[in-house]
Amino acid sequence: MSLPKEVPFTYEALSQIELKNGVIELQVGPAHAGSGHMRIVVWVEGDTVVKVDPDIGYVHRGVEKLSEDRIYIKAIPIVERPALVDTVNANLAYVIALEKLLGLEAPPRAQYIRVITAEISRIISHLYGIAIFGIFMGSSTVFMWALADREPFIDIMEELTGARITYSHIIPGGVRWDLPKDFADRLEIALQYLERRMKDYESIWIKNPVVEARTKGVGTLSATRAVELGVVGPNLRASGVGYDVRKDSPYAAYPDFDFEVPTLSEGDSYARLLIRVEEIKQSISIIRQALKKIPQGRVIYEDYYKRMSPLMKKIYDETGRVKFTSLVTSLSPPKGEAISRVEGGRGEVFYYLVSDGGKTPYRFRAVTPSFRNLPYFTHVMPGHKLADVPVIYGSIDYFPPEADR
Amino acid sequence: MSVLYFLPQGWLPLLESLFYALIFPGFVIILLLAFFIIWFERKAAARVQMRYGPLWVSKRTGGIIQLLADMIRFSFQEFIIPEGADFLPFVFLPGFLLAFAVLPTVFIPIGPDYTRIFPSAYTLLLAAAFTLVIPVYLVVTGWAADNKFSFIGALREAYLLISYEVPYILVIASMVLLYRTLDLVRVVDMQESSLPGILLNPVAAIVYLLVVIRSTGRVPYDIVEADSELIFGPYTEYSSLMFGFVMGVPYIELYSYSLLFSVLFLGGWAPMGGSGFVGGLILPGLLTFVKAVIVMCFLVFLRAVYPRYKLNKAMEAGWSWVLYLALVSLLVSAAVSRLI
Repeated sequence: MSLPKEVPFTYEALSQIELKNGVIELQVGPAHAGSGHMRIVVWVEGDTVVKVDPDIGYVHRGVEKLSEDRIYIKAIPIVERPALVDTVNANLAYVIALEKLLGLEAPPRAQYIRVITAEISRIISHLYGIAIFGIFMGSSTVFMWALADREPFIDIMEELTGARITYSHIIPGGVRWDLPKDFADRLEIALQYLERRMKDYESIWIKNPVVEARTKGVGTLSATRAVELGVVGPNLRASGVGYDVRKDSPYAAYPDFDFEVPTLSEGDSYARLLIRVEEIKQSISIIRQALKKIPQGRVIYEDYYKRMSPLMKKIYDETGRVKFTSLVTSLSPPKGEAISRVEGGRGEVFYYLVSDGGKTPYRFRAVTPSFRNLPYFTHVMPGHKLADVPVIYGSIDYFPPEADR
Repeated sequence: MSVLYFLPQGWLPLLESLFYALIFPGFVIILLLAFFIIWFERKAAARVQMRYGPLWVSKRTGGIIQLLADMIRFSFQEFIIPEGADFLPFVFLPGFLLAFAVLPTVFIPIGPDYTRIFPSAYTLLLAAAFTLVIPVYLVVTGWAADNKFSFIGALREAYLLISYEVPYILVIASMVLLYRTLDLVRVVDMQESSLPGILLNPVAAIVYLLVVIRSTGRVPYDIVEADSELIFGPYTEYSSLMFGFVMGVPYIELYSYSLLFSVLFLGGWAPMGGSGFVGGLILPGLLTFVKAVIVMCFLVFLRAVYPRYKLNKAMEAGWSWVLYLALVSLLVSAAVSRLI
């Protein structure tokens, strides 16, 4: 159904597509129920889409440039803003790059806490993706359910970090807060709740005959074409390519865990939905393993702890709260560059950080997963019906702020 | 009632028909019902979706006057007429839509004495015919608005109308075949002496409900208005009070269809019957009405379960299995009509 293979992934090639007489140009967005924070220009011939041009950039925040004006640690809140429902993975990717520049490594307990929060973030992100998919297909029930079922996890993260969405919990050398006392029990309750709910989703959404009729065979992308176009994350795995950064170049404490990378070969919208559901199950399993195996110890880099004042040490020992030493707030990594790759909820997050030895980053470059999933608009949507546009859009879990950075 | 005796002879039927047209089951009750059914739809969906639904406008009554508050708000908003729109059709068609949505209720009897008010032996035919008028106006509305989304919505309506009109007519024909009459009062009598139509010919009932869901744009057949694709289909350009009108049209249409369903398949006012104004119209009318409202509640509740269907799949269904089911219902009617 997608464009012929000859059309390469360049804008020039797309603009060569000839539009016959009688083709209607539709401006879907920027103020449209099915566009999100972007404009999609859709050309339809009858009911068939012949060309799609996603016009992105409406929510560009200049994250890269803003980061260059701030000290290293203050870039963390900026970095996590664009990926609003998947903030931990954005935060983690930035901190990993920074730690590579500084040449330090967080203690094992901090690494485990990072994994736990990252997986919670992945669950929240996937639930959000399912919710948006639901409302794009006209099911307000799944929209409300999936958005509301993020709540137990948001509450838990609030208890841990004090914030509901943007946690800024991961800092160079560790994390800001140790786990609260009853954290494991509360998280287990939330996980069991989610497992129960996933069965409800199965009956009303995943096994729904209308959903199957609308998503099966829609927006199909083969494995070779997916690699060619460079899509990432669950979408890539739904096309049959088992690429996951957590397995292929592990970071944090991921090598310690036993988990699968679910892949499907269909590559259609339904497969992309199923992959997300499977990944939620895998995340639950990872969190359980992490809670069981989590080592004792400090959650901050040893050297930073040593340089804390006695009062700061007392606060840390009593409450598990890391106070920022002047060392952390005025980091100046040696001259050099570092990259980091993290498997976020929507796919591979790639950050590139350059230091010139000063107190602020010399250059920060972010390649976010949503941006890399853009070819679905240009190369997969043409050939489908107009009603398939929101279905494909919803199924790839595209998030405009994340793509625009 | 005693006041009525002071009036000259010929006035009584006129007053009765005025009551029928304006109060029950006509204008006033339709407005009240629109309030109720929109409230019910939102409240029932909210219950499934773990939220409150309308609540803060009159919290004591559970937010039932939310629609009234919305209507007041609409009436203070600016009515925008797009520059390229055809003025007359654009402005007046919502009124026509509303009128034609109500019109079928005139031909549907609600009690055994109804023949006094609308004496006709062809009420089923008239009711069925007038339910099919609206889509034509809808297509014109979509064209008049000069908006690409409205236009596409109108085309979708036209496609779907053609696909589902044939099964609808076949189902009506099969019920005529079953009852061997076009008079809806006779239809209820027939059901009273045997069984409700839904048991006599369940296939026809299923197809009829499908057609109702399609024609009134209930989920999963809200293809014409599909908000994530077409914003609001043919009604996209309407604002202010006109938006309130066009939003209400599908619900009133749903009421007409459900009233017909209640008479045709659920036995109407059976087993209640009598004569006079109260015994022959009001009490049986209430029973017919309650049956229709239950059907409406079921149909609007589907919103909480299904996502939206796709145009080409819906058309495929209309020309294949829905049509086959309609043909099967003809056979069922032919077989059953020999038994009753």
